[in-house]
Amino acid sequence: MKRRDILKVGAAAAGLGFPAIIRAQPKEIVMLGIWPATGAFSDVGPILDRGMRMALEERDMKIQGRPVKYIVRDSATAAGAATRRVEEAVDGEGAKFVIGPWSSGVALAVSEVAKRKKVFHYFSGGTEDISGSRCHRYSFQWAASPYTAAKTVVDNFMKANPKARRWHLLVADYAFGWSVEKYIKEVGKTHGIEFVGADRHPLGEREFSNYVQKAAANRPDAVAMINFGLDAVSGAREIFNFGLTPKVPLIMTWSSGVEELVQLTPEIRENIWVGSNFYYTADTPVAKKFVAAYQAKFGNPPGYAPSAAYGMTRMMLHAFDKAKSVEVRDVITALEGIEVQDLVGRMRVDPKTHQTLRPYFFMRCKPKSAMKHPTDFADIIATGDTPLPAEYAACKDLGSF
Amino acid sequence: MLYALMGLGLSLITGILNIPNFAHGALFAIGAYLLVTTVGVIGNFWVSLLLAPLGVALLGLIIEYAGIRRLYAAGHDYQLLFTFGLALILSEGIIVVWGPVGFSHLPPQILRGGVDLGFTFYPKYRLFVMVAAGLLILATWLFLEKTRYGAIMRAGIENKEMVSLLGIDIHKLFTVAFALGAYLAGIAGALTAPIRGVNPNMGVDMLGIAFVVVALGGLGNLLGAIAAGLLIGVAQAVVAAYWTEASTAVIFAVMALVLLVRPQGLFGIR
Repeated sequence: MKRRDILKVGAAAAGLGFPAIIRAQPKEIVMLGIWPATGAFSDVGPILDRGMRMALEERDMKIQGRPVKYIVRDSATAAGAATRRVEEAVDGEGAKFVIGPWSSGVALAVSEVAKRKKVFHYFSGGTEDISGSRCHRYSFQWAASPYTAAKTVVDNFMKANPKARRWHLLVADYAFGWSVEKYIKEVGKTHGIEFVGADRHPLGEREFSNYVQKAAANRPDAVAMINFGLDAVSGAREIFNFGLTPKVPLIMTWSSGVEELVQLTPEIRENIWVGSNFYYTADTPVAKKFVAAYQAKFGNPPGYAPSAAYGMTRMMLHAFDKAKSVEVRDVITALEGIEVQDLVGRMRVDPKTHQTLRPYFFMRCKPKSAMKHPTDFADIIATGDTPLPAEYAACKDLGSF
Repeated sequence: MLYALMGLGLSLITGILNIPNFAHGALFAIGAYLLVTTVGVIGNFWVSLLLAPLGVALLGLIIEYAGIRRLYAAGHDYQLLFTFGLALILSEGIIVVWGPVGFSHLPPQILRGGVDLGFTFYPKYRLFVMVAAGLLILATWLFLEKTRYGAIMRAGIENKEMVSLLGIDIHKLFTVAFALGAYLAGIAGALTAPIRGVNPNMGVDMLGIAFVVVALGGLGNLLGAIAAGLLIGVAQAVVAAYWTEASTAVIFAVMALVLLVRPQGLFGIR
């Protein structure tokens, strides 16, 4: 056989054989984690990625026998950058399932992209608009409703401190802060709480002395912060520096838990009460397994951020299982009304609003003398899962696909 | 006062070298981290407060001697790019050495808690910082105004070629000026650590304000930097008392307003 003939045979074999190999490869399912790698919350992006990756790795990166291609893009905590990158991932990479980002304001913009591009979207954050006034068929909310959080925090704090009726609020001035503030005030009325002051600060505020001076001047029985991340850490630190805590209790109403508490010293944490969507001592089989695996892998317990990414991915995977399909519409339909025992206990998805109905945690920080190890920050003293009353629900119609 | 301290250091470098030092925020952050680390090692806040900024000054000296000096012939664009790249390297270096998660550092026991000033309750440590920063600014001012080397430095800002023609080693002058600017950034960072804690992005937050202070005071104008730093601080405090939401925006609003009326800054460009 001549050299040319060999090449012809090889070319024919390649022409016939390779497409067969390609056909035999099941089509991959592309999932996008849109996490902040730069800008505000850039410290949280890598650990959000860890959570989503861990949930997918539990399934060996496969769904219904098909490989999962997990891609990550930087949300930059900027609506413009995040939406552009989600669109590029959907159009260029074929992403159909999107989880993230980490900021409520940015998430609302990403949610609009999900609606327009008809892709699945799961988010965890403090805005109630995803499952409220701007709800639609493609976006879901994993974090507890701001009402659930406010009710859990206010009810249980007042149970422990019935005389603390003069509250001063420090509120992050964006979608998340406004939502939680509204319900803190609403639930506060039922306890006869007087809000002696409520100051709003911009996202990324680091200089809290002026806010704390105003809070101190109001002589409150308690200070409640409705902010997040470094804002919450900076605020708590300054409240301690001004000598308010530990005399006056400080409530971090919507905290990331571990990620924030680790940045405060035990002295600063004294008499701090914390509301969070997750705490690593949560007593559920899934949480225990996840916390053990996370600690073994990364050496420290997971906070709210990796847990939310892990929890959202797990809920989405439950929906895949229920749907027995990998089509976006089927997965969405399966997730609507699903009920599972998962990361934080009993978890349901309201089919009318796409709000995940789940427990919210309320903790009290431990004094230094009671800490058994360096990350033994707090005890869970209560959980609450009161859903948003129907009269407050702003999501009237999810619409069609 | 801390804004003035940062602005003074940045203005000194800008005035002498004719370039904005983008690494100034990173030097500020390193000052804070060095303080926390030194306290952890030797357990004494006051000694650490002396050592940490000296470490930053030494770093500044190395940066100028080993980096910027080699780019004088290449022009300002290269020096500017160098400090920009250096800022990124130093910020990432902080994450590599100290990790991505910030942490808090308490003031020394004697300065914890607050004092009732009659009209307001104020943390003791912040009062200490005001006094310490004020003294540092005064000492820097006296050095620049009353000493021979300070006079050479001011002359260097006015006219480098003339200073060089008088037989003064201009390169040595650049090195000392950069180290002094770095020292001021370092001590501002060290003083800030017990107030704001430390985190890898703290330098970026402060750099923006430092540039506002320098632009507002007049590029390279040392007196302008001090005055602008104080003005920004006071404006922020006053606005926050009545309209907290605008307390950050006021920094940039004041700069925009002043530059509209006086594009050369409050005290003019040197």
